[in-house]
Amino acid sequence: MSAPPICELKGVQKTFTGPRGKNLRVLEDINLQIHHDEVVAILGPNGSGKSTLLRLLAGLTPPSKGEVRAHRQRLRGLNPAVAMVFQDFALFPWLTVEENVRIGLRAKGLSEDEVRTKGHQAIAKVGLEGFEEAYPRELPRGSKQRVGVARALAVDPEVLVMDEPFSQVDALTAEGLRAELIDIWQDAERNPSSIVLVSHSVQEAVLMADRVVILSGNPTHIRTIVENPLPRPRNTRSRDYRVLADRIHDIITSAELPDVEVSGPSPANLPTPIEPIPHVGSSDVLGLLEFLETQGGSCDIYQIASQTQVSFESVLSMVKAAEMLNLVDTPKRGVKFNTLGLQFMEADIDERKDIWREQLLTLRLFRVVLELLQLREGELSKEEVIHEIAARLPMENSEQTFQTLVAWARFGELFAYREDKEILTSE
Amino acid sequence: MIHHLLHTLWGQASSLFGIPLHRRRWMDLFVIAAFTGLVMGFVLVARQWTGVQHPLVEIDLSPTALPKYALLSLVRASVALGISLSFSLSVAYWAAKDPLAEKVLIPILDILQSVPLLAFLPVVLLAMVRLFPHSNMGLELSAVLLIVTCQAWNLAFSFYQRLKTLPSGLDEAATAYGLSRIQRLRWLEIPFATPDLVWNAMVSVANGWFFLMASEAFNLGRDKDFRLPGLGAYMSSATERGDLLAQIYAILAMLVVVIVLDQLLWKPIVAWSQRFLIDESGSVERPRSWLLRILRRSELVVRIRLSLARLRPKPKPRLESAAVPHRDTTRLDRWMGTGILVACLFLMALVAFKLFEILAQVHRQEWLMLLGAGGSSLGRVLLSTTLATCWTLPVGLWIGLSPIWSKRLQSVVQIVASFPASLFFLPLTLWFLNRGVSLNVSAILLMAVSTQWYLLFNIIAGAQAIPASLRETAVAYDMGWWRTLWRLHFPAIFPQLIVGWVTAAGGAWNASIICEFVKARGTNLTTTGLGAIVTRSADQNNIPLLAAAALLMAGLVVLFNRLVWDPLLRLAENRYNISR
Repeated sequence: MSAPPICELKGVQKTFTGPRGKNLRVLEDINLQIHHDEVVAILGPNGSGKSTLLRLLAGLTPPSKGEVRAHRQRLRGLNPAVAMVFQDFALFPWLTVEENVRIGLRAKGLSEDEVRTKGHQAIAKVGLEGFEEAYPRELPRGSKQRVGVARALAVDPEVLVMDEPFSQVDALTAEGLRAELIDIWQDAERNPSSIVLVSHSVQEAVLMADRVVILSGNPTHIRTIVENPLPRPRNTRSRDYRVLADRIHDIITSAELPDVEVSGPSPANLPTPIEPIPHVGSSDVLGLLEFLETQGGSCDIYQIASQTQVSFESVLSMVKAAEMLNLVDTPKRGVKFNTLGLQFMEADIDERKDIWREQLLTLRLFRVVLELLQLREGELSKEEVIHEIAARLPMENSEQTFQTLVAWARFGELFAYREDKEILTSE
Repeated sequence: MIHHLLHTLWGQASSLFGIPLHRRRWMDLFVIAAFTGLVMGFVLVARQWTGVQHPLVEIDLSPTALPKYALLSLVRASVALGISLSFSLSVAYWAAKDPLAEKVLIPILDILQSVPLLAFLPVVLLAMVRLFPHSNMGLELSAVLLIVTCQAWNLAFSFYQRLKTLPSGLDEAATAYGLSRIQRLRWLEIPFATPDLVWNAMVSVANGWFFLMASEAFNLGRDKDFRLPGLGAYMSSATERGDLLAQIYAILAMLVVVIVLDQLLWKPIVAWSQRFLIDESGSVERPRSWLLRILRRSELVVRIRLSLARLRPKPKPRLESAAVPHRDTTRLDRWMGTGILVACLFLMALVAFKLFEILAQVHRQEWLMLLGAGGSSLGRVLLSTTLATCWTLPVGLWIGLSPIWSKRLQSVVQIVASFPASLFFLPLTLWFLNRGVSLNVSAILLMAVSTQWYLLFNIIAGAQAIPASLRETAVAYDMGWWRTLWRLHFPAIFPQLIVGWVTAAGGAWNASIICEFVKARGTNLTTTGLGAIVTRSADQNNIPLLAAAALLMAGLVVLFNRLVWDPLLRLAENRYNISR
């Protein structure tokens, strides 16, 4: 493209200071340009820093390294070209619809007349005329997000930045909102010129975006950017559409569940590295296995997501967990029981727990914690475990890992945890 | 601007007469009448405040004089609330935004919040009278200042906590849309804090009445009478002269003030503040107010609001490039904040130094005596709290668990709780003494009387919050009343019970100042206790002992809080938190 991008991220890295002053690197070497007249969707596993990327773009948080540019100028503070729509709507409950929409305009210090007209135009654009005097609590979720969109449109942004805008809205309403949003965007004369949206649904991305950015890894980087040349309006039943959706599913699956284990070189001076565990509860894994059984023992991961209404990323995490426990195999983008998995499904609850416990012991994380527990004679403080996790899995959220560890261990009766005293004890 | 305002006001008022009566315009008349009353009240007060100080205040005991005294007390209370609000909001805002100030201010606020400040009444009184020797200003100011010191801290704390727990989504939206600091305050921070602030203001005002009634009736030494004309002074002179009828009048007048405030001020404000609640579940019945409903319909009020909105200065367009920087505070702000902080600390160090000098004059034997007195006061506080718990626990549970009775009694309890018990301390003590009850015992009873309402209030709230599903479970599994009480009711109300105990104990410490030492009909009656020493040493102008006693009491309370209440509160939060 010849025209300069509206805004771009150049070599951006983002680090958060985690608990105990440890640095948690979330994003690594992100390069992304947002051009005129395009819709960009960002896909990635849960907790991969999709939202952080969006906040960097909006100037809500500064990058730790690299720079964010708007119209070739390095950004210091908010990005003037961008307006944001939030996942949980973020409407002020004590202000009416109209007052909520006018917030950005008032902050710009426009005259009262301008505030009125622009606010009214934005409300009209999303079809909320007649609801001006209503309070957000009176509206259904879909309408709340309309207010969120109107608030963003009111300030006439070049780029509309949306953080999983329809994930809190029921499926049917979300369909309608997506179509309306594309209609608003397609009016080439007016802003927003471009839309960037974070999504948890491959369907949504393929339906709306011209480019789909796929994030993966830890720390997260851009794995690939898929161009979507399908003409609009897009038909979700067309062959091309399904081919593209499958391709994106394959890319994500192969990133998260590689068929061949990639073993990186491990530096000798670090403590023995242990494998991170996906943050899903034991009941989620059990649920997945039960569902798999109703599907005859094998299924496409993408099928599971669409049939259970669970997001693709969450299903991936569950499958990954089941795979780590050696209960399923994952050929390509499918998942099926292996011998142990079949045995597990036939077993009664006590036998299941036995199998689960044995499988936990094949994971290094659980062995390490169990050894510590024996070393401390059956009483281990949470703090020590967290410390150990933070030392051995510096890229992981140690608190979340701890919670998962406890949940899995409780189901396998490997060890017990007293929340009010914050200690692990042996069963 | 004023001209414009007057014009709209007057224009509205004159148009009132030409409009048919059926359109509820009487409400507009009421608004105007209330406004006039307020102005006249302030004129009266201004005259009183700047008046020459008399050595003895003449209190007119006829019931016709009561409205004047009630008004004077009321104005003191409202001026104090105004000062408390502005002071505590600014301090809390500062502490929330400036990390350095936060580190210094919050521990100080925390201590001040828990210390029995009535112990410092004599100190403040003596200092203020010395500052304004020739007018009533000193006395009035010391009364107001005293109320402020008992009101400001919980307000400051609640605002600070709200500022620190802004919903992250709204906070981010405010940043993303580039709200200026003022706009943030107006659309995000103040609305979010309002429900909590209203609640705390109610508590503060109730506290304020307790202190005001005590300070109006305070007399020190033999030659000087520091009483201020007001309900408290009316009561104390009625008691002195043994005029039973006048005592009843005073209590009735106070009751009327409390009820009027409840109906005309708190009910509407609470109902109005509902809209600032974040919680979207509409299941709980929302508080209503008849006054708010009528005010919202009043044409006059609507017009005034509209014309006020028109008066607001026009916004200046901000330049597009003036983007908001990432950090909240600019360098200049930070330097100024640090400067003020250092100045405050310096001042405090000076005071501490002076205090040290004064304390050096207290003998070791006196310290031992003080410690013993502290022990017996502590014993009294704990006994009175236990006593109050004995009856409030069953009654509170009964009221809270019965939807009908909690609805009926809620506002009654609220009114009774905000009635200042300090008003009838003196007559009640005398009544007890006449019946052969020693001051030692009557002090415990009086403490219980003044603090039981906090407990009752909290227990009712706790019982109401027990989820219906848990109560149904208890019935469905046929748990029996004893097991239900032990396994469900006690654990469920435990957090509220602890909060109630903390508040009640704090209130009892304050009460100890007034009820351990009584000066009536020319004789001084006293019992062993820190409160008695504080009052007596003030009476005898023994400044070192006064300072030592007041400080020891503060230290004792803080120590007790840290060692007993804090661990219990943590336990309640971690283990018995029903909402988690």
